[in-house]
Amino acid sequence: MSAGPGLESLVDQTISVITNDGRNIVGILKGFDQATNIILDESHERVFSTKEGVQRLVLGLYIIRGDNISVVGELDEDPDSRLDLSKLRAHPLKPVIH
Amino acid sequence: MATEEESAVKEPLDLIRLSLDERIYVKLRSDRELRGKLHAYDQHLNMILGDVEEVVTTVEIDDETYEEIVRTTKRTVPFLFVRGDGVILVSPPLRTA
Amino acid sequence: MLFFSYFKDLVGREVTVELKNDLAIRGILHSVDQYLNIKLENTRVVDQDKYPHMITISIFDWESVDTSFKILQFGLSVRNCFIRGSVVRYVQLPPEGVDIELLHDATRREARGG
Repeated sequence: MSAGPGLESLVDQTISVITNDGRNIVGILKGFDQATNIILDESHERVFSTKEGVQRLVLGLYIIRGDNISVVGELDEDPDSRLDLSKLRAHPLKPVIH
Repeated sequence: MATEEESAVKEPLDLIRLSLDERIYVKLRSDRELRGKLHAYDQHLNMILGDVEEVVTTVEIDDETYEEIVRTTKRTVPFLFVRGDGVILVSPPLRTA
Repeated sequence: MLFFSYFKDLVGREVTVELKNDLAIRGILHSVDQYLNIKLENTRVVDQDKYPHMITISIFDWESVDTSFKILQFGLSVRNCFIRGSVVRYVQLPPEGVDIELLHDATRREARGG
């Protein structure tokens, strides 16, 4: 069962997590387990709104329970660093409805 | 014995087994309905359907009159895997009344 | 096990995964596990005209934004992603990746208590 889509390859990399309530948290993946519980270091939340630019909320060291995780994206630092978050406007994502 | 085993309907999933390769109706959470040919399923009601028509029903409230506007959106998909946890009911092929 | 095996055979093909938050992500199926967690490569978020309420942007990447908020082109900040099986609503399958006879046989075998 080791050939599955584990998160091994993302450890120590910057990832972008979408939670079931539609939030977006960016941080460095430090650990994970079978249930997709994850440890994120130096994390921050990106709050999207249509009225102002993206707010960056510093969170620090976070453990996120797997049940609340929708998607984990591998963040390419280079294009991401070129984004001007202050100019971005977007509707927040919808929550997951099970 | 084998034929009896094949056709006997003792539990709900037996009825679904008899619908294999037939068009079925599936009602899903979040006001979605599917019609399609059943190609595969498992005990969680995960399914693969073919020639699928999906109907999504949305209700909007008119800003001025506060009337409910019911809209249905249709689309077709050649082959669709459906995760079982969203399934509310499965109905065998419709027999024309 | 039926669908776990099925998706393992589908690795390398392009699929569209539709999530329960209405996001649709298209990409090459990289891997799958017994929970039907999915890893996609070369991902892009699908823009479906038929689905006005479907979010047409990726949460990860916001390369350019039109001020009227209508058109959000998404960039390439996220190329690979892990999707938790529990948030999947549908997976659109490539027709060439569906062998109907094989699926019928596997389903009957599974129904018999496989």
